Amino acid sequence: MSPLVLGPTLETERLILRPPIASDLDGWTAFSSNSEAMLFLGGAQTRAVAWRSLATMTGSWVLKGFAMFSVIEKLSGDCIGRIGPWQPESWPGTEVGWGLVRSAWGKGYAVEAASASIDWAFDHLGWTDVIHCIDAQNVNSQKLAERLGSRILRRNVPMPPPNETPVDIWGQSREEWRERNKA
Amino acid sequence: MMQNEDVARFIGGGSRYIIWRLFSAMVGAWALKGYAQFSVIEKSSGKWIGRAGPWQPEGWPGPEVAYTLSRPYWGKGYAVEAATSAIDWAFDHLGWAEIIHCIDPENRKSQQVAQRLGSRLLKSGVPLPPDETPGEIWGQSREEWQARK
Repeated sequence: MSPLVLGPTLETERLILRPPIASDLDGWTAFSSNSEAMLFLGGAQTRAVAWRSLATMTGSWVLKGFAMFSVIEKLSGDCIGRIGPWQPESWPGTEVGWGLVRSAWGKGYAVEAASASIDWAFDHLGWTDVIHCIDAQNVNSQKLAERLGSRILRRNVPMPPPNETPVDIWGQSREEWRERNKA
Repeated sequence: MMQNEDVARFIGGGSRYIIWRLFSAMVGAWALKGYAQFSVIEKSSGKWIGRAGPWQPEGWPGPEVAYTLSRPYWGKGYAVEAATSAIDWAFDHLGWAEIIHCIDPENRKSQQVAQRLGSRLLKSGVPLPPDETPGEIWGQSREEWQARK
């Protein structure tokens, strides 16, 4: 079965971003079975649970017209994580979220993919602001949000059950993003 | 449907967020695998009344045809009607050689539907992902299904 085209393919200097396909499961499992990568996302998960996340993300492309992209490293062709717009039911706002396999950290990939995702969300989804839901202990993600130009908007915001830990809501407006990223 | 106690007792329920995630995963499975459970619509009312159909997420013990209806629509034979149509479709279009139904050992109503479909208990105590709850595996082969029609 050839994959359905559920959304756009974005290209950055070192990455391809496209909607998930079935063969991304190895990459998704590599990401979500790692306890360090999943420290603030509920802990390491089995391959069966990773598949459910992959299917949920894929379904959101159909139901809402957007969801996170699978992130492909051009150099290796590997799926190294998922980054992009995300707003499941009861979510506190229009998020651009990120998660990369542990071995892909520290290369600037997350900023590269999140920047392309934010551009796409503002240009094509009509969003007027973007948020990032970040655990108060998650220093790596806080640094990334800062590098994107976001700041803390609200602290200690409850997430829909069964998520038990409140998060800080980081974010910025479309105008702020565009002013900072003028060509 | 899934916030009703009778329905959630054997298959889980939860917040709108959790139920949306499951709904979205079902839609996503259509894109990833080419099949998943159907939404079931009652013709006379036009209402969405549940889901039934082929389902085999990663790590599942076999090719399942599952069925779950909203509580007000139990007892009308709808589950058998929908599952029968879904089993025909799975055998005709997905190339499956057998079907299973994963059923909680306490879930008498679902066991009765399986029996009316001609399935029998194949295995007990099989751990079902993602939470590894032990379930019964009911089922039958394509030949058995087609011989009975």
